[in-house]
Amino acid sequence: MVYSMSKKSQKKSFLSAITEFPAAVWSSVFRNPLPHTDLGRSRTSFTNFFLHMHPVKVHKHTLKPFFTMGLGLMSFFLFLILVVTGVLLMFYYVPSTAQAYDRMLDLRGSVAFGVFLRNMHRWSAHGMVAVVFLHMCRVFFTGSYKKPREFNWVIGVVLFLLTLFLSFTGYLLPWDQLAFWAITVGTAIAGYAPVVGDQMRFLLLGDTTVGQEALLRFYVLHVAVLPLITTVLIGIHFWRIRKDGGLSRPDEADKVETAEAVVPLEPALAGAGAMAYTASGDIDFIEKKKYGIQGLVRGPFTKVGNVPDNTVYSWPNLLLAELFVFILTVLGILVMSYFFNAPLEEPVNVMHPPNPAKAPWYFLGLQEMVSYSAFWGGVGIPGIEVLILLLVPYLDRGKEGVGKWFAKERLLANTLFMTFVVVNIILIIIGTFFRGENWEFASPF
Amino acid sequence: MKTRLALALASIAILVVHGMVFYQQFFHEWETYQKSYFKQASTLSKNEAEKAVLDSRSPKIEQIMVTQFGNARVDRCTTCHIGSDDPRFKDAPHPYKAHPYSEALGDKQVNGKWERRHKFADIGCTVCHDGQGRGLEEFYAHGEDEFWTEPMLGYVVQENWKPEYQKKLKGKEFMQANCTQCHTENDFASTPLVNKGRELFITKNCYGCHRIEGVSNGTLGPDLSDVGKKWKLDYIYESIVDPRANSKTSFMPQFKLTEEETKALTVFLKSRRGFNFAETNLDRYRAALDKGHVETSKPPTTDTNTENADKGDTTEATTSAPSTSVALGQTLVDQKACAACHKIGDKDGGIAPDLSFEGLMRDDKWVVAHFKDPRALVPDSIMPAFSFSDNEYQAMSAYLMSLTQAPAAASAKENYQNYCARCHGDKGDGHGMIATYLDPYPRDFTNAGFMNSKPEDRLIKSIQEGVGGTSMPAWKNVLNEEQSKELLDYIAKTYTKQKRQNIKPKSVPEKNPVAMSTQSNARGEQIYLQRCTGCHGRKADGKGANSLDILPRPRNLLNSEFVNSTSDKRLFESIMYGVQGTAMPPWVDYGLTKNDVGDLINYIRSLNQEKNKLMAANFVKACH
Repeated sequence: MVYSMSKKSQKKSFLSAITEFPAAVWSSVFRNPLPHTDLGRSRTSFTNFFLHMHPVKVHKHTLKPFFTMGLGLMSFFLFLILVVTGVLLMFYYVPSTAQAYDRMLDLRGSVAFGVFLRNMHRWSAHGMVAVVFLHMCRVFFTGSYKKPREFNWVIGVVLFLLTLFLSFTGYLLPWDQLAFWAITVGTAIAGYAPVVGDQMRFLLLGDTTVGQEALLRFYVLHVAVLPLITTVLIGIHFWRIRKDGGLSRPDEADKVETAEAVVPLEPALAGAGAMAYTASGDIDFIEKKKYGIQGLVRGPFTKVGNVPDNTVYSWPNLLLAELFVFILTVLGILVMSYFFNAPLEEPVNVMHPPNPAKAPWYFLGLQEMVSYSAFWGGVGIPGIEVLILLLVPYLDRGKEGVGKWFAKERLLANTLFMTFVVVNIILIIIGTFFRGENWEFASPF
Repeated sequence: MKTRLALALASIAILVVHGMVFYQQFFHEWETYQKSYFKQASTLSKNEAEKAVLDSRSPKIEQIMVTQFGNARVDRCTTCHIGSDDPRFKDAPHPYKAHPYSEALGDKQVNGKWERRHKFADIGCTVCHDGQGRGLEEFYAHGEDEFWTEPMLGYVVQENWKPEYQKKLKGKEFMQANCTQCHTENDFASTPLVNKGRELFITKNCYGCHRIEGVSNGTLGPDLSDVGKKWKLDYIYESIVDPRANSKTSFMPQFKLTEEETKALTVFLKSRRGFNFAETNLDRYRAALDKGHVETSKPPTTDTNTENADKGDTTEATTSAPSTSVALGQTLVDQKACAACHKIGDKDGGIAPDLSFEGLMRDDKWVVAHFKDPRALVPDSIMPAFSFSDNEYQAMSAYLMSLTQAPAAASAKENYQNYCARCHGDKGDGHGMIATYLDPYPRDFTNAGFMNSKPEDRLIKSIQEGVGGTSMPAWKNVLNEEQSKELLDYIAKTYTKQKRQNIKPKSVPEKNPVAMSTQSNARGEQIYLQRCTGCHGRKADGKGANSLDILPRPRNLLNSEFVNSTSDKRLFESIMYGVQGTAMPPWVDYGLTKNDVGDLINYIRSLNQEKNKLMAANFVKACH
């Protein structure tokens, strides 16, 4: 309606211009009214900056809640919460050894919502490390890193490392005993790397010990460098999801259920994310089929039109699901922040390390391994683990079992990965709960 | 539709949580306090104008910026304690209650109105009280949070403090520690506990081991100059009453202190913060220049004596005027708190040997040398080297030498009680009253394996001549040979109990069969590293990995006084055939030959010779 009005108003009176002003602004911002037709739904997705990331239509399999469990989205929403709360915290924080701790006290005591912001930031950060890891597990156990999604897995692994590093750099900022000694331990682990270890540690700390230089470096890394890199990589990660044909799904999911299906589809081309590759990797044009211009850009493409398939419109199906995950994530963080305060221990006392001095929990598995061998535990094994993670899609080239949880065809790969997950979790649990003074075994009970 | 239902439910949940969060974050306890205060004050106000002002006030965070006392502080205490400077609220309950006015604090009444000496606007609250000035919740502001380093002195004890200490660390007198931050005078009348603690620090001999800037120069124990800044009351208190609680290897004695004395020391130590608000760096630099050295090596009470004695030639003063010297020595011994550890007459610190008849046990030379460096003569002694002038050492030695009256005793049993029990224990098991502070540990007479494997004449010699490098003195001036023999018989009958067998003669050369040489030392070192380090330690200081599980402890082989006073024959026998009743095995059973043992003896002797050489070299250097 708004559209048509603006067209015929050739001789608009001043008064009508005033009355139409709000509608004119609205229509200039949101090009589409709330859609009621399929065309409108497509247009809405297409013309809105925030929605154009989504495909116009999305496969029904993608919307199954227990296939993805919304873990990737959850990671992204946690990142958003972190950005928002982080920016607000930046208004109060000063990266100076003389002031940082006092600022923490102010946040807790006198800044409106200060303690709550800090709680949200803290728990979201811990949550993000956990959820990103779980997301990685989901992708592995459903075999979703396989062709053509190999490179997106690699980006994902890098994003996981960035998440760890973001959390680690943030850990120092409160400048309390917990922060200081955790970073002292964490950077000491970095120092165990051969040849470059000491230099790396020095580069990170700007000094031989954790001090003002380290605080400043960690701050800059935490609020500028790492979030920027992360944001860019998240963008690429999302873009690749669409360019690689949407979320993975098993071949069965593309069987057409609708009675209207008249044109039998090549299985390889069905759906928004069809694998339109031949064995040689070239795009396989199939004469009988019609497809959009995107199909020429690269195999998988978005289909608009009346081709019967198993897709539904993103608006509102996908968006509602996303909104649900978003609300759930925020709810979780709010509840957590309501009941638990982020820890704040004594101000830094360089002369009195706590015994034991522990790294942040996600590095306690490393610290536990370091207690057996500094090099192998701190650098060797984790280095190999990361390398293998990065190479996983290139090592495991089987085409079976994509898009299914714990597919039988992938028993070996899944068992190996499960072992890796369980061993690391056990190490973290031992490091967190079963290590007391002098890193000796201690029962938490 | 299912999605929409879930979405609706989640949205309701998030709304509820938002409500909770907003309530939690917007509701502040201090606001209710302030509102209540405004209402009460408004009813108390005398005129309408004042009333109107109060009625129009709305709650806000009150804060005092304190910049004159050390690091800048932000004290928000008056946000809750809003009536703290309002005399009308002097009988109100907390937190409205006005801070009491007191003449002791220097407050004055002018025209019936109190005027504070310490104005809150300048000095804030935490300068005196401690606590967390920035906090706006009682838990944090008062420092109840276990992570806060400065809980309100004397008012707040933290939950993780030991319950038995908690009640002892309450009371506003603990705040005296903070008065001292500005009122640094030693005799400031309003800080009796600090003054008493400072006095105790000297009279209980703490100064011998600990350094406190401007007070003492000890080096054996940790520097306590800023102990009050580093630690909370409970840690300081615990370190005094139970030194090993926080530092397992501490050899600090458990001094006999009354509850009051412990409190005074705790408050004094809490007052040591490394810097005082009252002085600038320049002040301190000037003070250091003026003093030249720390004040307590010459406290005011002894100044006159010392000066008098200084006038005469040191050595002549002791010889030609023994009476003055003895008197000076006595004053020093009394004032410098020797009896805080030692027994002298009827004063007894219960930590160190009895000096009541030292004149019979040691000679002047030994005593003076021991004063200057106790560990040169008894290498594992815990006695600090006190810093005095030579003249003072001489005087104290002269005084100790004048103590020649041993308690009269008739029977061997009485002799044992008088002379031996302090170290060797009433039960003869070596666990005497002061035994924990002696190293080597006193001999256990109930250890028949040891007692009966040594010839009697050697044991009698130990009594008569003493044992070099240990706390066992020579008793020959107290007990003649006959009495020593009787004493030994008494010990054998009462404590050792087992009958002495004839000791089988062993083939032990009188002299070391291997001549001292570099090669022999090198061989000895090799054998030592292979066989001996487990107990005697890599440094041969008797502190090997197994040493803590062994009693008697392995011998410190760097104890030159002991090693040099022990014959080759004895060393040879101990190594070759072991020491019965101890963990030292007969190494002949493990394949050591006579030559091996000879090499070992040479190695051990060389360790002590080199040490001697080094010491001699240092001595020469020091003289030049």
